[in-house]
Amino acid sequence: MKEFNIVLAGVGGQGTLLAAEVIGSAAVSDGLDVRVSEIHGMAQRGGAVVSNVRIGEGVLASTVLDGQADVLLGFEPLETVRNLKSASEKTLVIMNTQRIPPTELAAKNAEYPSVEEVLAKIHVFTGKVIVVEAAELARKAGSRLAQNSVMLGALAAVEGFPVKTESLVEALRELVPKKHVEVNLKAFELGRETVRKKQKRV
Amino acid sequence: MPDVKVLLQNAPGKRVLMLGNQAIARGILEAGVSVVTTYPGTPASEIGDSISEIASEAGLYMEYSVNEMVAVQVAAGAANCGVRALTAMKHVGLNVAADLVMTLAYTGVRGGYVIVTADDPECYSSQNEQDNRFYALLANLPCLEPSDAQEAKEMTVYAVEISEKLELPVLLRTTTRVSHTRGPVAYGQLTKPNLKGSFVRDVKRLVMVPANSRPKHEVLLRQVAKAKEISEKSPYNKVVRKGGEIGIISSSSAYNCAVEAASLLGLDAGVLKLGMTHPLPEKMIAEFLKSYKRIVVVEELEPYLEMQIKAIAKDHAPDTEIRGKMNGQYFPREGELTTRLVAAGLSRITAKPLPVDFRKIEENYGAVVKGLPPRPPILCAGCPHRASFYVIKKVGGDRAVYADDIGCYALGIAPPFAVGDIMICMGASVGTAQGISRVTGRDTMATIGDSTFFHAGIPGLVNAVYNRSRIVVVVLDNLATAMTGHQPHPGTGLTGMQSPAERILIEKIAEGCGVKYVRVVNPFKTKEATAVLKEALQQPGPSVVVFRAPCTLMDAREKRRKGVTVVSSRITEKCTNCMACIKLLGCPAIMVEEGKVRIDENSCAACGLCVSVCPYGAIEGSCAE
Repeated sequence: MKEFNIVLAGVGGQGTLLAAEVIGSAAVSDGLDVRVSEIHGMAQRGGAVVSNVRIGEGVLASTVLDGQADVLLGFEPLETVRNLKSASEKTLVIMNTQRIPPTELAAKNAEYPSVEEVLAKIHVFTGKVIVVEAAELARKAGSRLAQNSVMLGALAAVEGFPVKTESLVEALRELVPKKHVEVNLKAFELGRETVRKKQKRV
Repeated sequence: MPDVKVLLQNAPGKRVLMLGNQAIARGILEAGVSVVTTYPGTPASEIGDSISEIASEAGLYMEYSVNEMVAVQVAAGAANCGVRALTAMKHVGLNVAADLVMTLAYTGVRGGYVIVTADDPECYSSQNEQDNRFYALLANLPCLEPSDAQEAKEMTVYAVEISEKLELPVLLRTTTRVSHTRGPVAYGQLTKPNLKGSFVRDVKRLVMVPANSRPKHEVLLRQVAKAKEISEKSPYNKVVRKGGEIGIISSSSAYNCAVEAASLLGLDAGVLKLGMTHPLPEKMIAEFLKSYKRIVVVEELEPYLEMQIKAIAKDHAPDTEIRGKMNGQYFPREGELTTRLVAAGLSRITAKPLPVDFRKIEENYGAVVKGLPPRPPILCAGCPHRASFYVIKKVGGDRAVYADDIGCYALGIAPPFAVGDIMICMGASVGTAQGISRVTGRDTMATIGDSTFFHAGIPGLVNAVYNRSRIVVVVLDNLATAMTGHQPHPGTGLTGMQSPAERILIEKIAEGCGVKYVRVVNPFKTKEATAVLKEALQQPGPSVVVFRAPCTLMDAREKRRKGVTVVSSRITEKCTNCMACIKLLGCPAIMVEEGKVRIDENSCAACGLCVSVCPYGAIEGSCAE
C-alpha cells in the first residue's frame, strides 16, 4: 500500500490528540503500519497543536513532509492555514468552521479573518476543500465537545483513506470515556455523512 | 491505549499502538524492573506516569522523587542490592543527577540499572537542546538509542541485560520524536518483578575514597572495552542495506528521516543503523567505511557520531570522504531534523535534485501566513497563576526585577504581565534573584512553582536567609507538578504508588530555613494578596509568600467528578467596553466580538478574577474576595 499522510491541526483542548490516537489504533487493528506524532507539555497550553498520522508500509519518519499530506484535517480555520505547508494540489483540506480567536486578537482589537479570506489562502495550495460545521453537527449529536468525532467521521468518508470505518468506530468506542460513546458515535456518523455528500462536488 | 492497564497483559505477540514512552513502560515490565524512580519532565513524563498507575498491581515500587539526583540515588541504592531499577528524566534532569552518575560509573551496580534520558531537539518543551549522548562518552557508560516505539521497548529490556552483564548503569537516550510518536508495539513475555534485595558490604567497591576510586577507574575502562565487544555484536548495530553508491550512517529518529530522504531522492544508498552509540562498534564501522568512497553521517543535534567516525576513518579508511555537519555545510546542529532537511543535505552532497519544489512551498506558505495572528501557549482560563501575576505586577510594576523558574508560570513572561526577566533552570530563580538584588539594590522577586521549590529551590532559600538577601520568594503553589501532567510532589499528600502521604508544607520549610516573614494567601483574593506582597517587599531579609490555589485543570476535573456545574462569569449591561479585563488579564475566555467584550461560557472556569478587577463592577459571577 502507498503511504497515506494526515495532518491534524487545532488548538489545545479540541481533542486532536485523541482523534490522532483513534486513527492510529484503528490502523493497527487493520494490520497496517502507522506513526502518530504529537507534541505535549509547554506547547499544549491553549496553543496551536498539530498531530501527524502516517499510514502505510515502510513509514518511518514521525512527521509529514511538506506538501505531502493526503488530508489536512483542520479543527479550526486559523490553524488550518497555519499548517498549509503540508498541503499541495493533491491534498484534501477538511476544515471545521468553528473559530477560536487567539487572545492576541482581543488585545489588539483585531478582526478574525473571514471564511472567504481563509478559503482564498487554502486555494493557493489546493482546490480540494470541504468545509464542515463540526460545532453545529456535534451539538446535534448531543455535545459540542464531540467536534473531534465529527472530524473523524469526515475523514472516514474520504476516498482512498485506508483505514476501515468499522475499525475507527471500534477504536472510538475504546478510547472515548464510556458515558460519551453514544454521542461521539452519532457525531462521527454526522461528519461522515457530510463529507460523503460534499465529496461528490469536490 | 484505551487504559494503561493494557500494559499489564501477558499476551506475547499482541500488537498495541503505543507512545514511545509507554513502550518503555512495557519494557520495564518485560525486563522485570522492580524499582522505578523519576522526576517528571517533557518529553519523559509518560514513562513514570504509566508505571505509577499500574505499579501496585504489577508488584513493583515507583516513586516521583523530589528531583533527578535523588531519583538516581534511590535507584542506585536499590540496584546495588541486586534489584533491577530504572530512572526516567528529561535531558536537563541528567545535569542535576550528573554528580552522582559520574561516580556511579565507578561503583557500578549489581542489578540491571537503566537511566532514560529524553532529549528535546527543537526545545519543544525545554530551555535548551543539549545532546546527552555526550554524557555516555563523559561518564564511560553504554548508551542505546531507539528510533521508534518498538525499539524503545526492546532496548529497555536489552539495556537491563547489558547493565547486568557489565555491572554498569546504561543510558537509554530518546528524543521527543521517539518518546512522543505512537507506533505499533509487539508484546513480549512479562517478567515478574523482584523487589527483595540484599546489601553486601564491599567497601572497595562502594566507598569512593581516592584509594578506592583509582582502581575503580581502571575497572570502568576495562568494562567499557567489554561494552565495545557487545556493541560490535549488538543486533541494534546493523547494516540495514548493503551496496549503493554512497553509505549513510545514522541513529535514533534521524535514521527514519535519512531512509525516507534517500528514497525521496531515489538515492541508491547503503545504510548502517546504530542503536548502541556508546561505545561505538569500531570494527563494524571501519568495514562499512571501507566499502564506500563517500559516507554521510546523519544525526540530530551535535556531531557526536561524526567526530568519532572521522577518528575511526583516520585509522581504517583514510581515503573515504565523510560528510555531515562538522563543517556546518550539510545538516544543521540546531533544531530537530526533518525528512526535508535531510533530503536537502543529501541533495547537495550527491547533486541529485529534490523532486519536490520546497522553495515554492515555502514562498506560498510565507505569503498565506503573513499577518496571521500567532497562537502561543498561554495560561489557561481560570489559572491561579494569572491571579498571582496580576498581583505581582500590580505591586512590583516595572520597578521590580523578576527572576522566573521552570513551569507553567514561565508563561507569565507574555503580555499583559511580562513578569519574567531571567529564567535559566530548575530552582535558579531563588539564587539569581539574590545576585541581582545584591548588586542592584532593586526590589527583586523570585517566582517559583511548588514542585520546583521542592526540586531545587530550598538550598537557594537557605542561602538567602544566611546571607541576608533582600528578596521575595513567591511560591506559586497550584498543588501539583502541573505542566507535565499533575504529578504529585511532597506538598500534595500523594505518592507515586498512588497512596496517601503526610503533606510537607512549603511555609513550614520556609520557617524551618529561618525565613522571618512567611505568608500563605489565595491569589484570587487579590486585595489581601496585594497587601501581603507589599508587606513582604518591606522586609529587611528574605521573605516567602505562598500563593496557593489549585491548578484550574485539576479543579475542573474534580468538579466534574463531583457533578458540580460551573456557572461562567457574565458581562452585564454596565460594561463600558473599557477593555480593562482584557488589558489586565489576557484571559483566553474573554474575547472581543463586533467591538464588544464577551466571556465565552464554554471556556470560562468561573475563577472570578475578572469580576475582581473590573473597574465598573460590570462582570457578574462568584469571586474569592
